[in-house]
Amino acid sequence: MATIQALTDQLKKKFGNAVTGVENPSATQLFIDFKKEKVREICNEVLAQGGRYLVSVGTDNLAKDGTLGLIHTFAFDKEHYFLSLRTATKESEPIESITPDIPNAGWSEREYMDLLGMKFTNHPKPKKLVTADDWPSDIYPLRKEVPFNIKPLAAENVAYQLDECPEGCSIVPFGPYHPTQHEPAHFALFVDGETIKGSDYRGFMIHRGVEKLAQTQISYNEIPFLAERICGICGSVHAASYSQAVEIAVGHKISRRAEYIRTIMLEIERVHSHLLWLGVAGHLIGFDTVFMQAWRVREPIMWLGERLTGNRKTYGMIVIGGVRRDITPELKQDILNVIGTIEKEMITIKNAIIGDTAIHRRTKDVGYVSTEDTIKWSLVGPVARARNVDIDVRRDMPYAAYDEMKFSVPVVDCNDVWGTVLVRVLETFEAISIIRQALDKMPNDGPILTPFEDAVPAGMHGITAVEAPRGEVTHYVITGEENRPERWRVRAPTYPNLQGVPMMLLNNQLADVPIIIGSIDPCFSCTERMEVVDLRNGGMKVMSQSELEALSRNKR
Amino acid sequence: MWLTSKIKQVLLVIKPGTVTLPYPFEPHPVPEGYRGQPSWDHHKCIGCGGCAAHCPARTIFIRDLCQDLRVMVYDGGRCTYCGRCADVCPEKAITMTKNYELATGSKKDLCTTMELFMATCNRCGRCYEMETKNAIDRMNLKGYRYDNLEMRAVLPVCTEQFDTGMLAKSDRFKRPERIGE
Repeated sequence: MATIQALTDQLKKKFGNAVTGVENPSATQLFIDFKKEKVREICNEVLAQGGRYLVSVGTDNLAKDGTLGLIHTFAFDKEHYFLSLRTATKESEPIESITPDIPNAGWSEREYMDLLGMKFTNHPKPKKLVTADDWPSDIYPLRKEVPFNIKPLAAENVAYQLDECPEGCSIVPFGPYHPTQHEPAHFALFVDGETIKGSDYRGFMIHRGVEKLAQTQISYNEIPFLAERICGICGSVHAASYSQAVEIAVGHKISRRAEYIRTIMLEIERVHSHLLWLGVAGHLIGFDTVFMQAWRVREPIMWLGERLTGNRKTYGMIVIGGVRRDITPELKQDILNVIGTIEKEMITIKNAIIGDTAIHRRTKDVGYVSTEDTIKWSLVGPVARARNVDIDVRRDMPYAAYDEMKFSVPVVDCNDVWGTVLVRVLETFEAISIIRQALDKMPNDGPILTPFEDAVPAGMHGITAVEAPRGEVTHYVITGEENRPERWRVRAPTYPNLQGVPMMLLNNQLADVPIIIGSIDPCFSCTERMEVVDLRNGGMKVMSQSELEALSRNKR
Repeated sequence: MWLTSKIKQVLLVIKPGTVTLPYPFEPHPVPEGYRGQPSWDHHKCIGCGGCAAHCPARTIFIRDLCQDLRVMVYDGGRCTYCGRCADVCPEKAITMTKNYELATGSKKDLCTTMELFMATCNRCGRCYEMETKNAIDRMNLKGYRYDNLEMRAVLPVCTEQFDTGMLAKSDRFKRPERIGE
């Protein structure tokens, strides 16, 4: 047990003068400032004490004191608090990378190499991550002096250099546009025959600069709407997470009723998201009955969202200080009716697919990751719970009204894609039970919105996590001048999970790639054309669907 | 095992029957409180500019043509239909209608322009009290944005405001090698 006190004492004892400050503004927040020379030792010590790595936050303080800040954040699930290790470095001085010990920090550190111009020593893969291939190497877009809408000139013929392909393997490109992915992301798969022996990832092709926009253009009360548009499926989660981070940073209390309504909205979103994922997973393994039926069952909950909030999705419900619309007694009955139907239908679906040998063959032992590796790579959400890692921030770091909810966290030890199916189906039932409890216990009075009474003070830090359907979302907010955050860091659950995908893919078959990638994050799109490139003369011919069909039929 | 699953799946499919809606041929009503196209009631609007100052997508612009005439433009092309304008309107002059069939060939069909005659105060000569203690300033304290309304008309910021030095740097940027070279 590393309670806040025990951990502080231990770090102070072990590192002495390297620890320069300790702040403990509330029961869930612990901030420790330290000198950058000790970064790796301190992070290792925190891991040894039971910390789980979340994300790193890079900040630009060049105008203030000529430094670039770096904050490594950890969660102590058993002891229910977040630890933020804050340090700073001069612009020209490198800082030691923690990626050799905590592989999941790899992307965070690469991100700040690209966006803030930080330098890391001993980073195992110091390649471009976020910025485009032709982005000038001396413009760091997240620095304060760079305008939010800068458009450097484009360069031609610039390409990302893939990792070295292992001996005897060939490269199969998967994406950027692939029928089973709904977002552009490029996986280069190194295959030996049909077996995957390694992979390299080049993504961030749709990096939109949401954080920069929030830090330069809009204000506190508008960011929830921007946050909601980070994700089309778990939008409320981001709005809730951002709002909570600001509320925690400035110590703003919201009414209990608003917290209950937030809980209900988050769980409604979970039911819809898991049903959506179940359908997509069925589609990815070529089982379209599941796809059609799961989406049919899901539709009433979309209509319910429309009645509750005025929109099928992107509810626009959660803002700083509470929620925008109330749940009236009629709507309460409406919710109960809809989730009752969905529960019945869900049992039917569960019975129909749980024993289906076709699904078992496509998902069991596919995407195997051992429990130790899951913990080492800090995977989150159903991906981790399917691999026998018992984490769920709803239970470990209760927010909104989850402290009064009774629910179990489904954890299975299949360690494969089948486990993620099971976990998500079981979680849907838990979500329905939470909605019922919340409706039952919700206090009948109290304002639904408690706005700020005074201006938001600058320089306050707040970190929070919300359990999204796909895993936990972490938001870190530093309040700033001019009515907007100085820094807002968003970590979506796919961020750690996607880093684990190369490990899941290893030694699997090429045909299982869509469902393995789909098991962390639903994605699909349909392209009915393909390009044929003639290598000899460089000519290009686009084949239509009918030509393709004719070609494939003739072959048979 | 396999057969029982298949039988269950067949029942799962047969039981609900057809669920597809006959939508384009029959109208599809939307529920109360739906957030459709916003509409302005010019009888109620006092021209305070609250909607313009708080629109997260920045689709509402206000410009004072002269002391007595204030023009409001709503550009629906970028609207996200969040309904924030209707929330903050002190006079409830904005309603989110149930109109959602907004596909159009011309962006102008989505825009609303309103010319407001701003009565001048006999005592101070101003249209609207912009000093302390008004509703907008109080909202500003509570974390809302309040920009100079005149400046809003030039959003999004035009290219003249780019840092030219930084742009020049990108010219001399050394390109990475080509693949295969």
